[in-house]
Amino acid sequence: MKKGFITLHVNGDAHEVLVSSQHTLLDVLRGKLKLMGTKEGCTTGSCGVCTVHNSRGEAVLSCLTPALEWAGQSITTIEGLEKNGRLAPIQQAFVAYHAVQCGFCTPGVIMSAQAVLNLTPAPTEEDINDGLAGVICRCTGHIKVKEAIRKVGEFGVGP
Amino acid sequence: MLLPDHDFVKPATLAEGLAVLRDATGDVRLLGGGTDVVFNMRCRLMTPDTLLSLKDLPELQGVAVLPDGSLQLGAACRLTDLVASPLLIARYPALVKAFRAVASRHVRNLATLGGNLCLDTRCWFTNQTKEWRDAKGPCLKTGMDVCHAIAGAPVCVALNNADSPLPLIALDATVVLASSRGERSLLLRDFYREDGIRHTAREPDEILTGITIPPTTDRLVFLKETARQGMDFSYGAIAVRADGSGHTASRLRIVLGSLTTAPRLLIGAAAQLATLGLGDDGLEAACATLRDELGPLTNLYSPAAYKRELARILLRKAVLELRQGS
Repeated sequence: MKKGFITLHVNGDAHEVLVSSQHTLLDVLRGKLKLMGTKEGCTTGSCGVCTVHNSRGEAVLSCLTPALEWAGQSITTIEGLEKNGRLAPIQQAFVAYHAVQCGFCTPGVIMSAQAVLNLTPAPTEEDINDGLAGVICRCTGHIKVKEAIRKVGEFGVGP
Repeated sequence: MLLPDHDFVKPATLAEGLAVLRDATGDVRLLGGGTDVVFNMRCRLMTPDTLLSLKDLPELQGVAVLPDGSLQLGAACRLTDLVASPLLIARYPALVKAFRAVASRHVRNLATLGGNLCLDTRCWFTNQTKEWRDAKGPCLKTGMDVCHAIAGAPVCVALNNADSPLPLIALDATVVLASSRGERSLLLRDFYREDGIRHTAREPDEILTGITIPPTTDRLVFLKETARQGMDFSYGAIAVRADGSGHTASRLRIVLGSLTTAPRLLIGAAAQLATLGLGDDGLEAACATLRDELGPLTNLYSPAAYKRELARILLRKAVLELRQGS
């Protein structure tokens, strides 16, 4: 297939989108569905700012996967974390612990952090390090980020 | 940047995929998780007419124990699933360590075993954006009879940076290659070639369907040296397997990766360790063979002198770990 309609279930909504083989999942999320929370960074798999979740809640890099590969599948983006206008615990913790500076990488970091919590609700230091190894933040140095994740892990909800 | 225009094909069965390869007229690239291929396509290093997605082929899935005790890993197993496999963790912790050493969790959640085994070779003159390469001029891999890494090199000397082949070669694993002509098995150590362009023995119409590891209770160690753990390609990596215990071993396999165009099985060093034992004498004798056995090294990604020293350090560390261990 060079071009065709596929169904993508993004943040619980089904979207019928016209996708070409030239598009990555990131191109479709940003370009077609206008979900601009997910950022485009290095496009080489080094920075992690394009991180979204697959149907199992695992962090994947949307810039390194062809959009057509995702026909019929579920994806969660940063826009899908808040429920009924209320931020997810991990988002609240990022605010409370000021785990943000310029903010460009923040969607990728939060999605990576949420993926750690999905896999291990009470993550160890190693779990957090492993889950964050794929994202680079050039401002905060990950200290505040790790504090935020640890707190959500301890309390199960945001502070 | 958009990917190059191509036909995306997702077969439902292996037979369907093999038929696509049999009938193909243009360039067909096999797609596992895409983490290497998509990046190379974006850099216009790969401009296939057809992309054949193998990730969901049912024949390429799963970890299974065969009647003779061998372990079979499907080529489309994601590295994440292999890292979490209780069977692998119990039997081959060093193999799990190697799978886990590949890139970051984000990448491993997409990347497949087959993809890592077939990972394209890399060179800092070639693995750049198209604009960068155009400014430098093409090389052996991109259509000219020139190598920028070694002047006058007759073949491409790009490095094989895959981590997972090393312990698998040490374990005498066999890859299974299927095509519409039939199926063949090949020792993984014979799968790689000292040619950065056609770097594996896979024929254009073949699909790597899986890998079989013969049963063993030998000791196995894997080590990787890299700039940033948990995301970068290796500067150098090693897998060492030995029978026996403590300082004695008679059957050894030493495999060095990321220093050369194909993972290097070191016969001389293994012979020294088998004869002299894993003590300091044997270790120094083994290290002394490395220079000759590795042969000329490139300055790609790290200086050749650093690579030589790294090979010695990796061997020392690995043997120390073997002595203590399991």
